[in-house]
Amino acid sequence: MENIGALAILLAFCLSLYAIVGSIAGKLKSRPFLVRSAERAVYAVWFLLTLASGILVNALLTSDFRFAYVASRSNRDMPGVYKFAAWWGGQEGSLLLWTWILSCYAAVVVWQNRKKFRDMMPYVTATLMVTQAFFLLLITFPLSPFQVLAIGKEVTAAPDGSGLNPLLQYWAMAIHPPTLYLGYVGFIVPFAFAMGSLITRQPGDAWIHTTRRWALVTWLFQSCGVLLGAGWAYAVLGWGGYWGWDPVENASILPWITGTAFLHSVMMQEKKGMMKVWNIVLISATFFLCIFGTMLTRSGIVSSVHAFAQSPIGKYFTIFLALHIAATIWLILDRLDYLKSESQLESVVSRESSFLFNNLLLLASCFAVLWGTLFPVISEAVTGEKISVDAPFFNRVNVPIGLFLLFLTGVGPLIAWRRSSLDSLKRAFLWPAAVGVVTVAALAALGVRHFYALMSFGLCAFVTSTIVAEFGKGAWTIRAKTRMNMARAMVELTHRNTRRYGGYIVHMAIVVMFIGFSGAAFNQDKTIEVKPGDRFRLGRYELRVKDLKQGETPNYRWGNVVLDIYTDNEFLGALQPEKRFYKVSRDQSSEVAIRRRLNEDLYVNFSGVAEDGRAVIQAYVFPLVSWIWVGFATLFFGTLICLVPSKVRLQFPKTKVVGVVTQDARVSR
Amino acid sequence: MRGYRVSLLLILVTVLSLAQSGSELVTPEIRRVGRHLACLCGVCKNTVADCAMLECGHSKPARIKIRSLLKEGKSDQAIIARFVAEEGKQALAVPPAEGFNLLAWVMPFAAIGAGLMLIGWFIRRMLPKPQTAAATDSRILDRYHEQIEKDLAQLD
Repeated sequence: MENIGALAILLAFCLSLYAIVGSIAGKLKSRPFLVRSAERAVYAVWFLLTLASGILVNALLTSDFRFAYVASRSNRDMPGVYKFAAWWGGQEGSLLLWTWILSCYAAVVVWQNRKKFRDMMPYVTATLMVTQAFFLLLITFPLSPFQVLAIGKEVTAAPDGSGLNPLLQYWAMAIHPPTLYLGYVGFIVPFAFAMGSLITRQPGDAWIHTTRRWALVTWLFQSCGVLLGAGWAYAVLGWGGYWGWDPVENASILPWITGTAFLHSVMMQEKKGMMKVWNIVLISATFFLCIFGTMLTRSGIVSSVHAFAQSPIGKYFTIFLALHIAATIWLILDRLDYLKSESQLESVVSRESSFLFNNLLLLASCFAVLWGTLFPVISEAVTGEKISVDAPFFNRVNVPIGLFLLFLTGVGPLIAWRRSSLDSLKRAFLWPAAVGVVTVAALAALGVRHFYALMSFGLCAFVTSTIVAEFGKGAWTIRAKTRMNMARAMVELTHRNTRRYGGYIVHMAIVVMFIGFSGAAFNQDKTIEVKPGDRFRLGRYELRVKDLKQGETPNYRWGNVVLDIYTDNEFLGALQPEKRFYKVSRDQSSEVAIRRRLNEDLYVNFSGVAEDGRAVIQAYVFPLVSWIWVGFATLFFGTLICLVPSKVRLQFPKTKVVGVVTQDARVSR
Repeated sequence: MRGYRVSLLLILVTVLSLAQSGSELVTPEIRRVGRHLACLCGVCKNTVADCAMLECGHSKPARIKIRSLLKEGKSDQAIIARFVAEEGKQALAVPPAEGFNLLAWVMPFAAIGAGLMLIGWFIRRMLPKPQTAAATDSRILDRYHEQIEKDLAQLD
């Protein structure tokens, strides 16, 4: 089977090269059969990669330890779901998954557009297949997932595998990487259409209209991937952190930020025909950052707990990225004439301007994260001395930028397209600003002194009131006209313009998440050694140690502490944090116990046993942290709303500049 | 049954080796100093104060050293300087704002400045140019001024 798997990958590599050459040659020589043949090669690549993936997954599920990959990433007693998840638990397997997802996307794109965009599609296919061929090159030659264990020339099987990293044996980790890959890989589709549009010198916005949903779905996957990763870190790592500014975490957020900027600025192009160059730049940057993130995770350029083992593929990525960036810059510069704006700004105080500032701050945040991630490498190269750029740096730089972005989230909807008068601005800002100020004053009066937390809560109140006002005004108008009740009127309003109101729901999700982030200013923790019968306090909780237990499963041994939780002598329930020791890999992991509530989480980690036999407990109170996960659900819901077609098809008349009428001309008339 | 006892013994031995007392190393004083120092274990990107791994190969010895230096009466700055002298600048959680490393702090905000200038340039370019109307106005005004001058001269 390993030979079939390896052959399938090799054939897929050859076919992807054929698809590149066939589609371009077919287009240039006007040979439609070649273009068709190249498109069929895309389907064939998908089939071959599905076959290869099936062989690897089968080997994992059946514990075929002749495969080096299977032996190093799984063991017999692992639950089936984690054996399956081992597909992406290592470098070679995860690259195969990456490549397979890309082949799925490519096949869907080719199928969806088999009768559309005949000018552009050959180049779209070629762009997709260039990336496909690159990743196939990696798993065909340096990092084949089908290497077998051998003694001399004889293939042999290990008696058991060394198991998957225990930290990865968690439900969120079983879906976090594929979700993130769906995001990473998906951004190639709008990029490929942008390139197709540039190469064929399309003056219109066809690529934008075609890929808007792709971009949105991809962005949703990326968001889910990032937040599932945060949820995993919170529940598994034992310290309650959900974001640690690790280079690999940063790599996942970078394309998300530029993708967010793209989703905003693309509206300028759709509604006003402006910022065409910028949108191409943004989607290209997003794609490059996806590839860059993949490189960062896999090349060992920067040290990270998440990174796969160091491998020689860094130089492959560098060459791929350099060539792509150079080609994209050349294309953009060469096609500038086709990317001219169709209209002008009418006023500085307009929705258009607010989008510019939104993009500026998003990109500044992206740059700050990228800069902080790479600075240790840059600094060492220049000065020869190692330095650390840790969480405090990222927090100091990004918190003010994030708060300003939150402010713009509220400001944007208050400013009209084209121009806003001072009076309308005053009317729009008065109540939301008042709500924000009152919130800050009330919290300060209640004793909150943390500056950023105060600012954040104030801005959250401000943005919430703008969003509520937007929904309220619209629904009220519909109610007045149709006599619907307010709830139905809101649903009707959202259905009439799903993109706008779905977008507001996503904005609300961001507000909810900021409330969750701000709660971190009030975290409390305690590390203590205890024995059964002991009790200790943390915040308003009293934790009483009831018992210490231990046992084993086929996969691991465990020990846990039973803690009864009280507040004011009222029993709230029991928590059982657990420590696991995996038999095969000889690794350990913590299964923290969390009492989740909207106001605060009580989070308990069983760290181990002290020299005197007492259990070492780390207990934390994390105020408002659950709001982050509520925000995640809201973001998911809001994005789905955006994807629903609007009931009313809106037309956006563009303000075309047809000429300037001068006073002279009018006088002479 | 015997196997089970053996496994319980194993877990006990294992867990015993997991952790030693760490609670006395997370005092507010140790945290105050540790907040300026990077945990160099290579696993987390936290400070010595925030690293939650009690048995961390870097933050635990660092905390023990901070505790002993505090007991000796050393100031926070002296302790931090001691760490920098022993481990280099990487001991600091954030790049020192000096020399080349100043760029770490400056660049994000310089990027915002450059972006603002770019937006200013873009807005100026994209706004309708008022010069045409202004120039026309001034030409018309000049014509009227000339006419007034002429009429005034005739009056004289």
